[in-house]
Amino acid sequence: MIGRTVLRIVGPLVPSVVIVVAAWWLALEAFGISPLVGKRPPQVWEYLTASQAHREAVFGALGITIRDAAIGFVSGMAAAIVVAVAFVLLRTVEQTFMPVAMLLRSVPLVVMTPLITLVFGRDLLGVAVIGGIVVFFPALVNIAFGLRSASPQATDLIMAYGGTRFTVLRKVAVPTAMPAVFASARISVPASIIGALIAEWLATGEGIGAEILRAIGGFRYDEVWADIVVVTGVSILAYAVVGVVEALVLARFSDRRPG
Amino acid sequence: MATFDRRAFLRTSGLAGLALGLAACGDNGTTTTTSSSGGGGGFGSVKLQLSWKKNVEFAGEYFADTNGYFKAAGFSQVELLSGGGSGTSVESGLATGRCWAGLSAPTITAPAVLQGAPLKIVGATFQKNPFAIISLSKNPIEKAADLVGKKIGVQDSNELVWNALLKANGIDAAQVTRVPFQSDPSMLTSGQLDGYVGFVTSGPVNLRMKGHDPAYLLLADAGLPLVAETFTVTQETIDNERDKLKAFLTAEIKGWKDAVANPAKAAELAATVYGKDQNLDVKEQTEEAKMQNELVVTDDAKANGLFTMTPELIEQNISSLSKAGLTIKAEQLFDLSILNEIYQADPSLKLS
Repeated sequence: MIGRTVLRIVGPLVPSVVIVVAAWWLALEAFGISPLVGKRPPQVWEYLTASQAHREAVFGALGITIRDAAIGFVSGMAAAIVVAVAFVLLRTVEQTFMPVAMLLRSVPLVVMTPLITLVFGRDLLGVAVIGGIVVFFPALVNIAFGLRSASPQATDLIMAYGGTRFTVLRKVAVPTAMPAVFASARISVPASIIGALIAEWLATGEGIGAEILRAIGGFRYDEVWADIVVVTGVSILAYAVVGVVEALVLARFSDRRPG
Repeated sequence: MATFDRRAFLRTSGLAGLALGLAACGDNGTTTTTSSSGGGGGFGSVKLQLSWKKNVEFAGEYFADTNGYFKAAGFSQVELLSGGGSGTSVESGLATGRCWAGLSAPTITAPAVLQGAPLKIVGATFQKNPFAIISLSKNPIEKAADLVGKKIGVQDSNELVWNALLKANGIDAAQVTRVPFQSDPSMLTSGQLDGYVGFVTSGPVNLRMKGHDPAYLLLADAGLPLVAETFTVTQETIDNERDKLKAFLTAEIKGWKDAVANPAKAAELAATVYGKDQNLDVKEQTEEAKMQNELVVTDDAKANGLFTMTPELIEQNISSLSKAGLTIKAEQLFDLSILNEIYQADPSLKLS
């Protein structure tokens, strides 16, 4: 069962990867970008296989970026779930805070980052806030919607038997919201990586987000492209992992067939 | 259906990753079209990539354009491309044909040459290294050893200058906290930084105008003599377009002669014409122009002409670069023969 699910979700990734690599190569050739700047797939492969130092530079930075993205992902999703539950339990909270949340969302993160670093510092807390903001808002809207689409009949049934709104939440709303939670998780995977890159570029100065710009400054375009490749690869992989977990959890948790 | 959506999404997200990379190399410099009514000579229109945003650092270029020296030299137009973004490096612009010439620095050009880009430096506007560690005098950084334990803002494009400074002074990178920095000196005054790497011509003047008391450590005084705002072109230009390059440099010489003679006008051109969108202050720019004159008009430049480099100066630069871990020979990086020919043919171009 697990093996089949994994294959069903990972299988389609293979053509995706082929298409992405082909598009990369063709775009560079089509626009006639000099190989000094626009590195082709074989050059990136050569760079990564040529020396241990190259691999350490790229994968060391990647490790930091994965950590930063994970921090942003977890903090953003956790905050979104907590706030969504609060929204559903207390209607007034939603009416008060949703406009504020949307207002905050409409300020570009790049503009807010200097302020965030001033308040929360440049270490992991700052990363959690910057990454969390990227993940938080789409997840919040999705999950709040999922929680609220609980079946009224089931809700009425529980209320009639003396259940509280909390029981309704636990027995009806949460299982109903599971597809929405996973849909947000899938959107949030690439988003959390973007958040991590922004945080690294503007706040922490380590990881791929910082290294890629330093590599451009040092005319190390091999490294730039290798960074892009590994970060894209991780993004695709993480997306697939969430897909597998989603399929397995939904098969158990929800009456809806996972698709 | 869901499978299709997922694949479609992955394809787009992958392409987005690519686009991110391409955008980083893309042209995000703003352009200003120079005055170009009427047909110029035979050299047509060229693009000059500046190393930074349009401020008084490029006063000579503004004069060469305003006073028609470019046009007189046979260019219908010399488009000045604003720099400063991470995607606007002169070297990548030359390698991809986005610009014809650029103003850069040996610490940026040398790694590109070592990576196989056929580029050369054919002249240097700033004879002395304008790079400095700028700090506040209440918490001053006055010698390299003061850097240890401090928070220093370094732009990504100054990566190599910074590494060279640490290496030249035997400081381990782990001993200094490097903070990501764009170009906002308020990070210094708000205490987020103890110092930052910037041009001595702009930062201290700016801070003083805002009522702060700046201190600075010139990188040239910290074991790193280097030229800056160097004219970088491709080897192909040197080989096949020598006359065009000579015409261009001659116009530049005339422009810079005007610029050093008239700092106030230079500042006015920067603040009200070319860098109008930068909200520059004429008074501040005048101070900067006066300060940068000391770096442009050295005794050697007086004797040999603007932009020229003596063999000793070239040697110093090569040795500074080797401290940055860039082992390169003078003839791989510099070609001053074009300038020499210009001054030989017309010694009147020299500063009198």
